[in-house]
Amino acid sequence: MAQIQERGSTHVYKVNKISKEEMEQMVARCVYEHPPFCSAACPLKLDTRAFLEAAAAGNFKKALQLYEKIAPFPLVLAMGCEAPCEGKCRLCEIGEGVAIRAVEEAVTRFGQAQKLGGVFRTKKKKTAAIFGSGLFPLFLAGEIEKKAYPLTVFCEEADLESFLRRGTGFLDETAFELEYRRLKAKDIRFVFGCTLTRDFMEERRASFDVLCASHELTSALYPEAACIPELMYCEAEKLVSGPAAGILDAAFGAKKAALTVDRLAQNLDPRNTRGQEGPVESQLYTDLSGAGALTRVPMYGAGYTEEEAIREAGRCIRCQCEECLKSCAYLAHYKKHPGLLSKEIYNNTQIIMGDHQLNKPMNSCALCGQCTVVCPNGFDMARVCHEARRNMVSTDKMPLAPHEFALLDMLFSNGDAFLARPQPGYGKCRYVFFPGCQAAAIAPETVRAAYLDLCERLPGGVALMLGCCGAICDWAGRTELQEQTKEFLGRELSKLGDPVVIAGCPMCKKELASHEGLQLVGIWDLLLEIGLPVGGRGLARPAALHDSCGARGDEKTQAAIREIAKRLGCTLTDTEFSGDRSPCCGYGGLAAYANREVARELTEKCLERSDAPYISYCMACRDRFARQSRESRHILELVYGTDAGAPPDISEKRFNRLTLKNELLRELWQEEPREMNLDYTLNYTDEARRIMDERMILTDDVIAVLDCVRKTGECIQDEDGLLVARRRVGNATFWVKFTREGDGSYLVHRAWSHRMTVVKREG
Amino acid sequence: MAEKNYYTIDPGGKLRCMKCGVKLEKGKAKFLYLDNGFPVELPVCPVCGFVYVPEELALGKVASVERALEDK
Repeated sequence: MAQIQERGSTHVYKVNKISKEEMEQMVARCVYEHPPFCSAACPLKLDTRAFLEAAAAGNFKKALQLYEKIAPFPLVLAMGCEAPCEGKCRLCEIGEGVAIRAVEEAVTRFGQAQKLGGVFRTKKKKTAAIFGSGLFPLFLAGEIEKKAYPLTVFCEEADLESFLRRGTGFLDETAFELEYRRLKAKDIRFVFGCTLTRDFMEERRASFDVLCASHELTSALYPEAACIPELMYCEAEKLVSGPAAGILDAAFGAKKAALTVDRLAQNLDPRNTRGQEGPVESQLYTDLSGAGALTRVPMYGAGYTEEEAIREAGRCIRCQCEECLKSCAYLAHYKKHPGLLSKEIYNNTQIIMGDHQLNKPMNSCALCGQCTVVCPNGFDMARVCHEARRNMVSTDKMPLAPHEFALLDMLFSNGDAFLARPQPGYGKCRYVFFPGCQAAAIAPETVRAAYLDLCERLPGGVALMLGCCGAICDWAGRTELQEQTKEFLGRELSKLGDPVVIAGCPMCKKELASHEGLQLVGIWDLLLEIGLPVGGRGLARPAALHDSCGARGDEKTQAAIREIAKRLGCTLTDTEFSGDRSPCCGYGGLAAYANREVARELTEKCLERSDAPYISYCMACRDRFARQSRESRHILELVYGTDAGAPPDISEKRFNRLTLKNELLRELWQEEPREMNLDYTLNYTDEARRIMDERMILTDDVIAVLDCVRKTGECIQDEDGLLVARRRVGNATFWVKFTREGDGSYLVHRAWSHRMTVVKREG
Repeated sequence: MAEKNYYTIDPGGKLRCMKCGVKLEKGKAKFLYLDNGFPVELPVCPVCGFVYVPEELALGKVASVERALEDK
């Protein structure tokens, strides 16, 4: 019996398949985390998307909290901001952009401010002083106070009101009153009526750790001072100051200056570790198709009312790139954008000791390539997961359990169920029909009909090869096994005279295309060339065509299938997920073996497009749709007038392959196959059949257990009188609960398995 | 010091070894997987040493420990 070696030590280190740099480049393709264009344009980095979302929901309190993060005096900023965000709103491309500034003003006016004051906050030890008045000193005072430095402001004005009036003449009285209360509540010490001279300032240098000044004062009192605008700092004079043109610039200047103050207070170079400051470029992709109102809510007074602001904020389309998450059930399942998931999966491969928590997500991707098509930047999640699997296998860290059943099934296809014979009467052949393992497992009669048809109508002889193309081990990341499969198939093809391979499955065609010098053609292309056989018929009802992920990017194949369906009289409906955008049925990438839940969601994603019957051209798709109780037909079933009927279970799939091989050997090549016949009768309860399929337990495994009982007599009887026996087969122990019937037959009631070995312990 | 067992099942005289014709008893056994071992107490035949792993145990605890070790 074929067996695969369980991995050995868990501590084997080898090289990476994807370099860190390559991975970073890959991750950079995902723009999910890029800011929306409005936020990117804002030097103060307002989270505009969240702000407008809160405002649209009428939650002005939350919106104001977000705004207060960037502006210590929100009304001053909101009423005077030049709003570079508005010009960058994507709605400008198809209509009027959101009136962000007007919404900000309404929010700051009507929103409930956070609890004013901060007297109970622990103050820092280092102190700062600001000289002068105007917008920059005002904003800077707010920023420094927020950072909890004890702050003193020296100004020429006689009182707080006059100080606030400087530069804020555009505020109406209500707004002024609100900001006055805000300023008053701040924990800032003011010294009014000062005569600000250079001596006055220098005399106070000893009392404070950092000195700041308005640009006007610095220009007048320190004419030689050279300001570094990025830092808002005059290095020689040790004075935090700099020019500001306009309100937004003053606010941004104050942000930069406050950071400089912070660094200086800690005796650090103000140049270092400042992070990214100011506006940035964004490459975010935005789908504008869902945009609603394209014109601004009209403003009847000086500003929006609450209700108007809510409506205007509601026009924001919340720019966010979720193209892949909308299309792919796998990414949607993990609720992670591919940039993040890729990083996590890559890091998972780097773990030497500890848990590989991302093994399951890594093995759940269908490797179908749909994300690469729907992503505006062509993000290739399949490559990330595929390379990660190869990496895990090469470093001996890949668990065998998720893929073992599929790999053993492949070994079965290329072992007991394998068949390679030239057409009777021919030594070497011009063609070989390669229907694919799933076709023989699911629709053996269709394979037989297709082969006989090809033999009859193609010149030069058509050989038959029943086996697996190697996609299974490729998906599992088992490169060594993939190479062995390639060599094996190569040898068998060579024996047949290296014929042109007629692939019955687009996935096989794709996999076999990696064989050097192999001539390949899809059966669909050939059928169009020689004409469809007599007797084929399409479906009476309109049907949805499901494109195979094996044919992604292969327009010729996609078109050929549509042409065949048309000639058969089918009426096809295409949807937005047709062609290259088609999702995987859940079989691809061995997702169905590693994560049934994700695989089921993938299947449902395919089926949610249409209520019509589905026509596919990959037998695995046909099978998965039928298992979800959808009327599902493979195009070759329609071409040859066959009907594979209800989907077979895992044991029937093996049985079908073996039976097809044996029947054809007898009928066409007059060879008597070696068949293993049981010398006892074995039956299963319906429940046993169901759980065996669910638990991936084959009838062969049950037979192995019963053979063992019959030979050794080793079994126990449970409290219900049922017999229980077990046997280790490969890497698993199989248990069967059964009864011996009066006629000598066996009836299987339940079956289960585990991978651990269990032994009696002494002492 | 008391010996640590990860899991204990007492057959309570309800299970019978058909080969040896005796009742299974609570006995010492161990699970082994990927270089790890876990001492347990399971129904064991005192004569032939047949260790019984019930369905609930195989699908429950054993399966979850297998998953955890596979991802090490």
